[in-house]
Amino acid sequence: MKSQYFAGVDLGSTMTKVVIMNQAILASVIGPTGPEHRKLANKVMEQALAKAKLSFVDITYVVATGYGRINVPFADKQITEISCHARGVACLLPEARTVIDIGGQDSKGIKLKEGRAVDFVMNDKCAAGTGRFLEVTAEGLGVKLEDMGRLSLQAKNKVEIGSTCTVFAAQEVVAKLAEGVPLTDIIAGLHEAIAARIYSMVGRLKIEKEVALTGGGAKNIGLVKALEAKLGFPVLLPPEPLLTGAIGAALLGKDIVREAEEKGIPLVRRERRLTEATLFT
Amino acid sequence: MTQEKKPEKRRTATEAAAKIGPMQKANIQGVAQAKAEGKKVAYAFIACAYDEIIRAMDIVPMWTEAYAGICGAKRDAQRFLERAGAENFSRSLCTYALCGLGFDAWREELGEMPPDAPWGGQVKPDVMLGSGQLLCDPRNKWYQAAQHYMPDVPVYDVGLPWPPYEDDYDYREVQDYYVKYIVEELKGLVQFLEKHTGSKMDWARLSELVDLTDRTWNLIWETYELRRAVPSPMGTGDAMNTMVPIVFMMATQQAYDFFKELNEELKRKIANKEGEIPDEKYRLIWGGGLPAWFALTDFNYFNSKGAVFPVETTYRVVEAIYNFDIDLSKITDPLEHIAWRWVKFWTYWYDKARKRPGSHPSVERLIQYIEDYKIDGIVMHEAFSCRSWHVGLIWQLNLLKKVYKDIPSLILESDIVDISSYNEADTRARIDAFIDTLEAVKSR
Repeated sequence: MKSQYFAGVDLGSTMTKVVIMNQAILASVIGPTGPEHRKLANKVMEQALAKAKLSFVDITYVVATGYGRINVPFADKQITEISCHARGVACLLPEARTVIDIGGQDSKGIKLKEGRAVDFVMNDKCAAGTGRFLEVTAEGLGVKLEDMGRLSLQAKNKVEIGSTCTVFAAQEVVAKLAEGVPLTDIIAGLHEAIAARIYSMVGRLKIEKEVALTGGGAKNIGLVKALEAKLGFPVLLPPEPLLTGAIGAALLGKDIVREAEEKGIPLVRRERRLTEATLFT
Repeated sequence: MTQEKKPEKRRTATEAAAKIGPMQKANIQGVAQAKAEGKKVAYAFIACAYDEIIRAMDIVPMWTEAYAGICGAKRDAQRFLERAGAENFSRSLCTYALCGLGFDAWREELGEMPPDAPWGGQVKPDVMLGSGQLLCDPRNKWYQAAQHYMPDVPVYDVGLPWPPYEDDYDYREVQDYYVKYIVEELKGLVQFLEKHTGSKMDWARLSELVDLTDRTWNLIWETYELRRAVPSPMGTGDAMNTMVPIVFMMATQQAYDFFKELNEELKRKIANKEGEIPDEKYRLIWGGGLPAWFALTDFNYFNSKGAVFPVETTYRVVEAIYNFDIDLSKITDPLEHIAWRWVKFWTYWYDKARKRPGSHPSVERLIQYIEDYKIDGIVMHEAFSCRSWHVGLIWQLNLLKKVYKDIPSLILESDIVDISSYNEADTRARIDAFIDTLEAVKSR
């Protein structure tokens, strides 16, 4: 029997992630999603295929997810990021009952039961509870985004950030710098502020242990620690938090193919041609 | 002037709901006509129990919340909101009030209707009848603020309380006091209207209208109960139309006749097994919150995913009179009758709540609907500018899940009028995710 390969494409607001798997992950690629890159999910897929030493015709099924899932014209199916994150976490961290995903443009809480999402909350209205908050404030402070988490842990006396708006918070931190407040104390305060907002949102779900943290926010040690302090217990982290959605998408593709085979339902697939999205041209 | 995208028209499931647009337009234009004919016009709020009183006195209501909602639905509210902003009203106030105040400020400054005012505009009133009750605090202050622009128009602020819910006492111990209080408030309203409009109360007509209202309440309740059918013949999208005769036309024969027609239409659809959509997969309750009037096509989007709303709590502001624990027909004084109906409506779910430890009337109502209408999931809308109806929705949801069962839920976020709070792509992404969770729960 011919081997089956499944691809998951997670087109997020900041990063595009592609995973190719059969029984295990064969290749994964994480690339940026910018205004130009947004239509180039096909390029990221090509990189993943090269890493997996496969061609696109070898892929049995492609599922796209994420904010820009509709911009993946070569996907066989689009599935919401809630379902994909749930499936990914259920596979990687089966003991998790709650997922907190902190993305570049939104954040969400997902409640899991028997490996599937049964409830969720989302913040897509306000940047203050998303990765964007740290991006904007890091820029204001002249600090690299990837250094923010580490620096926050060096705080001696974290400050309170009063502004609930990202733009005003960015101004507030510059003012605090001018007042002579140590940079690390300000950064710790920013992490505290974003953790508080996320915790408040996810609190709408009954948070059940264990809690898995995914998305770019999970790669920020300062944010992980700030959220753990709010929750009162440690969180679980997948090996690569950015890939959870793409892994879930690939796994859901596998589930779809299996179900179709078991029930003898014909599988609807797109022509195996890697094209870029035309929405932006 | 802010240019807003012309709204896509929502598809209705029932013929009756499709008639509402022209009916409401005629209502609004009818106020201007009545004013031109010398009739007295009152600014009025919905669900204030004074429908029969003003109609018996031949005073024409200008429903200011309705007009703001119409501006929102026509995506023509921003210019009035901006006007209110320029008057330094906070953006965090009720956007119905902001829209109305912005409109009034502009109309009074011009001495005529603002250009291209939707459906001819909101007519300057002769009196303004505020009433916050326990429900909505802006309604106590809105008309007082409107007096900044219309100092010659008097305001009467009617207080219509009801006994608060406590699980360790029976509200019947104090209900008589509330009824007496409300009757006095309504008497004061009649005196105020007689003094400031010159109209005299026609007490015989008031009694007739009280009786008509009772019959209309029963008919509405019976009609909406028909939506229990599987497939359900009518959804909340349509109910956001059919709320017009409920809250803006109560105590009129036209409202009664409308529901008679809708009742017959729903029975016909049920007999033909004709649902709101051909393939009903998920049955949802609109469990709280006023709708985003500019985004009613979201209901069609739910439909496209196989989801229907056989029931909602919003604007279902009636119960069957014959289900009350008193016989209202024996209360012949019309003001007392109105007061008892008011108290019995707001306390309707109290007894049920007391039977379930830790529950609350608002949650019991949801539970009853979930059971009766075979509901799979609950959708609520948090309108950022409406504290009154929206504070506590999350609490209700959490309590429901605690005392009843864990049911998939979706919270939509935007506003009633302010379209800048709305993002169609994000809203629909949430709906997609919610449909996924419904499917996951169903297939477990």
